Amino acid sequence: MDQALQHLVNGTVLGGTYALLGIGLTLIFGVMRVVNFTHGELYTFGAYMTYALVSLLQLDFFLSLLLATLLGVALGAAIEVLLLRPLRGADIDSVMLAMIGAALVLQNAAMWAWGGVAKLVPTPFGGTPLVLGPVSVMPLRLFVLGVACALLLGFWLLLERTRAGIAMRATFQDSETASLMGVRVGWVSTATFAIGSGLAAAAGALLGPVFMVSPTMGDLVGLKAFAIVILGGLGNLPGAVIGGFALGYVEEFGGGFVSTEYRDAFGFLLIILVLAIRPQGLVALKERVG
Amino acid sequence: MSGLVGWAFVLAMALLPVVAPDPYMLAVLTSAGIFIIGAISLNLLLGYTGQLSLGHAAFFGLGAYASALASLGFDIGIGFGMRLRLEPQPVYVGFLSAILVAGVFGWLLGRLAFRIRGAYFVIITICFAQVLRMLALNWVELTQGPMALVGIPPFSLWWPGQGVVDLTSKAQTYWLVLGVGVLAFLVVRQIVHSRIGRALVALRENETLARSVGIRATHYLVIATVVSAGIAGAAGSLFAHYVRIVDPDVFLFIYTVTMVIMVITGGKGTLWGPVVGGLIFGLLPDMLRGSARPEAQWIAYGAAMILLVMFLPRGIVPAVAAWLPARRPATQALPTPVREGVG
Amino acid sequence: MLTRRTALLTGLALPALHRTGFAADPIKIGMTQPLTGSVAASGNYVANGAKIAVDVLNRAGGVLGAPIQLVLEDNKSNPREAVAAAEKLVLRDRVPVMIGAWSSTFTLSIMPKLLEYKVPMVVETSSAARITTSGNPYVFRIAPTSEMEAVAFAEQLAKFSPAIRKIDFLSVNNDFGRGATEKFTAALQAKGIGIGRTETMTPEATDLSAQITALKQSDGDTVFLTTGVEQQTLALRQGVEQRLGKRWVTTGGSFPDALLANPLPAGNTSYHILFYAPWFPERAPYPAIAKAYTDEWNKHGWEFAGLTEGFRGYDAVLTVVEAIKLAGRAESEAIREALWKVKLQGVNGDIAFMKEGPAGRESGQNKPNVAIVTLSEGKTGLL
Repeated sequence: MDQALQHLVNGTVLGGTYALLGIGLTLIFGVMRVVNFTHGELYTFGAYMTYALVSLLQLDFFLSLLLATLLGVALGAAIEVLLLRPLRGADIDSVMLAMIGAALVLQNAAMWAWGGVAKLVPTPFGGTPLVLGPVSVMPLRLFVLGVACALLLGFWLLLERTRAGIAMRATFQDSETASLMGVRVGWVSTATFAIGSGLAAAAGALLGPVFMVSPTMGDLVGLKAFAIVILGGLGNLPGAVIGGFALGYVEEFGGGFVSTEYRDAFGFLLIILVLAIRPQGLVALKERVG
Repeated sequence: MSGLVGWAFVLAMALLPVVAPDPYMLAVLTSAGIFIIGAISLNLLLGYTGQLSLGHAAFFGLGAYASALASLGFDIGIGFGMRLRLEPQPVYVGFLSAILVAGVFGWLLGRLAFRIRGAYFVIITICFAQVLRMLALNWVELTQGPMALVGIPPFSLWWPGQGVVDLTSKAQTYWLVLGVGVLAFLVVRQIVHSRIGRALVALRENETLARSVGIRATHYLVIATVVSAGIAGAAGSLFAHYVRIVDPDVFLFIYTVTMVIMVITGGKGTLWGPVVGGLIFGLLPDMLRGSARPEAQWIAYGAAMILLVMFLPRGIVPAVAAWLPARRPATQALPTPVREGVG
Repeated sequence: MLTRRTALLTGLALPALHRTGFAADPIKIGMTQPLTGSVAASGNYVANGAKIAVDVLNRAGGVLGAPIQLVLEDNKSNPREAVAAAEKLVLRDRVPVMIGAWSSTFTLSIMPKLLEYKVPMVVETSSAARITTSGNPYVFRIAPTSEMEAVAFAEQLAKFSPAIRKIDFLSVNNDFGRGATEKFTAALQAKGIGIGRTETMTPEATDLSAQITALKQSDGDTVFLTTGVEQQTLALRQGVEQRLGKRWVTTGGSFPDALLANPLPAGNTSYHILFYAPWFPERAPYPAIAKAYTDEWNKHGWEFAGLTEGFRGYDAVLTVVEAIKLAGRAESEAIREALWKVKLQGVNGDIAFMKEGPAGRESGQNKPNVAIVTLSEGKTGLL
């Protein structure tokens, strides 16, 4: 029982960041019909920027997190303007190939710039855990969960309550009608890709200090982000949050009670199952095969 | 005409070990050739069915494991106290089982491809390779997991007058890979130029129209996927008996990406595209060895991919064919189905 | 990072400069290591160790009146590239002898090529038992197998206080992790120590919370941790987070140096099985040799932590050059025969090969020394 409680806490913390990753990816797909292969690399980018700001420039930890996220937003906007804008109107496969190319460039640039040795990011949180009965958790992880939830909430408010959000949702639903109604779809695309990228960079900035920062840290995470959005239905925002937490719990409980060997495989097995039974995702709003 | 050029190219490649018997060059070409065969098979999916399959390393890896396991033999428990046993088989049995196993999985993927398309299909193919990698890592009794299958026997071939002999020299292995490559090329050409090929292109260009005139989409897609997977399996088998070690990393996404780059550089949907692209990207890493860090090379390959998609979306072969209209009137690219009809 | 890269470049240029002092053509030694890719950090340490050994030996006059030239090829942390690198070294550079290839998988993938081209290879790092038991007479391993490490560790059990009574394992899911689990289980069971749980992790896993929560359920007092330095650091840190409250022992000879600058909270002492403890060169079996290596390394300004792995490359070059000297000529078969006669003092201790594997096709295996280093609040000690 104690073990189950601990797994529940761990799974929640893990799920929060997975949700952050998933929502960025699914937003980009929903609005732009682009499968963002650079998502894992933006995660890595966010983590390395945090490392550079905290360890090399000696900036404040919290300020560094914010700056790393904003740099992620800027990189996302740059990718959109330089790469995706010229390819607007190209078929989905060409865009995917270009994105794979971009991911190769980003990952190898990280490897070249930072070398293969993984880095630790110092944090102002102490190394002693908070203890609540049978459960223990690091203050840093609680902070990460808190920020992740705040970002998810802020993102939801942005979509629901702002003009930009309404334009985004309109494009999400039907980009042609939206453009007829005066929404500048080009601008919305840039904003969407930048925000989605910023969320990935924020996830990296938050998790980099929890674990370690290495050039290949985005590989598995990128694949898992795919798993999350497939679970929730590609282009489904609430689905991505549910998918994120679902994957967090499945990995944590599957790893704890079934087998730690297969821990990272559970997510992928789940996808195959979901796609074999319900190809539209677990919580899809409507059938999407495009 | 272009057929003659093609056979001249094959002849030149075949004479290479006699004219310039540099074992290192042959080793590099053999290794490149194996991936070219993979690229030829991927082209059938990517170029002719229009299905962006990013799990092609799965078929390659399945072939490698099937061939290695058949020639090494295995003895595993299958539950209820029963055991499944296979004595070590000759290498050609491994080769055939590689094609068979990869083909069966190709059939499954082909069935699936019909249910889900576009982005979903792409992601599921990636996950498919990933799941196989996890399986290969953890089903230790069968695959030796991360410890890899080692001691895989080299190629053997029945030779007139000598019976079954091991192919040990560099030139022999090179010729074998070249032979399989030519065979793979001819199989794909046969399919592309047949009724199946025309139906595939029709489906790629306008599925609704193609269906309305009675083309059985599932049927043709499945045939193409099975053939493509089978050839990739054959390439995997060659890889297993050439490198003589198979580890779960054969399922890595980067191997798929390597084949994808070969196909789109040369020109997807053209018969010679994967060969040209494959030669470029098969030989480049060895030519740049020592002069450019692998990271720099990968950055260049990634950038090349982006630039190709933007400025040369049909690849090198169609572009060159367009520049040399007098010399090579017949491009290898299939004409668009609108002119050709749908058969 | 920049300093390391420039250092690497100067290291490459040095053999060329030294060549001017010799009349004869240089004698080539091939080496393949993962210089880029996922395990590049360790590969570069080993390669650096080899480079400084070549420098030191060339300053002392080279071998057989000729300078030594190290031909280094990157295997890109990938078995296919390991084969390509080996073929390039043998077929293009025509090296008579090789050193390689860090991970067991890379070494195993090169081994059929050694038989094919009849070139001997000194294996400096890989721990899988199969490397020396599969009947490949061209393999000479100076690195310890997991079994040797476990047996050597078991001899030092008495040094632990409170005593080790029951152990658990947290191991990376590969040759290295599985091998260590198996051999430490056998060696410690023989000493009457109880065996608890075994948890595994994939090499790329970063969140080990599920594994550590599971380990907490065991009543063992010590966890044996077998993986690379990155996951060692992660596991030790996450052990504190989850209040694991057990003693950690890391195996395999690498050291989580990130914990020197970012130490765990007070009261957490971890134990590390190393084959060279650079903080205490005076306690090495041959202090003068260990000091020469350590000084030469520090002269380049390389990362101090790299010394724990760099010695492998250093000792491998010493071994190969000694064999060339004994052989009297730089030819593969002569070097292979001479490797059996090598009796040498290295950084790790005595180097000599004993026979392992099927009769008539034996591989060579050296019996190395182990040191147990303690780490507490960023400070190291020798147990």
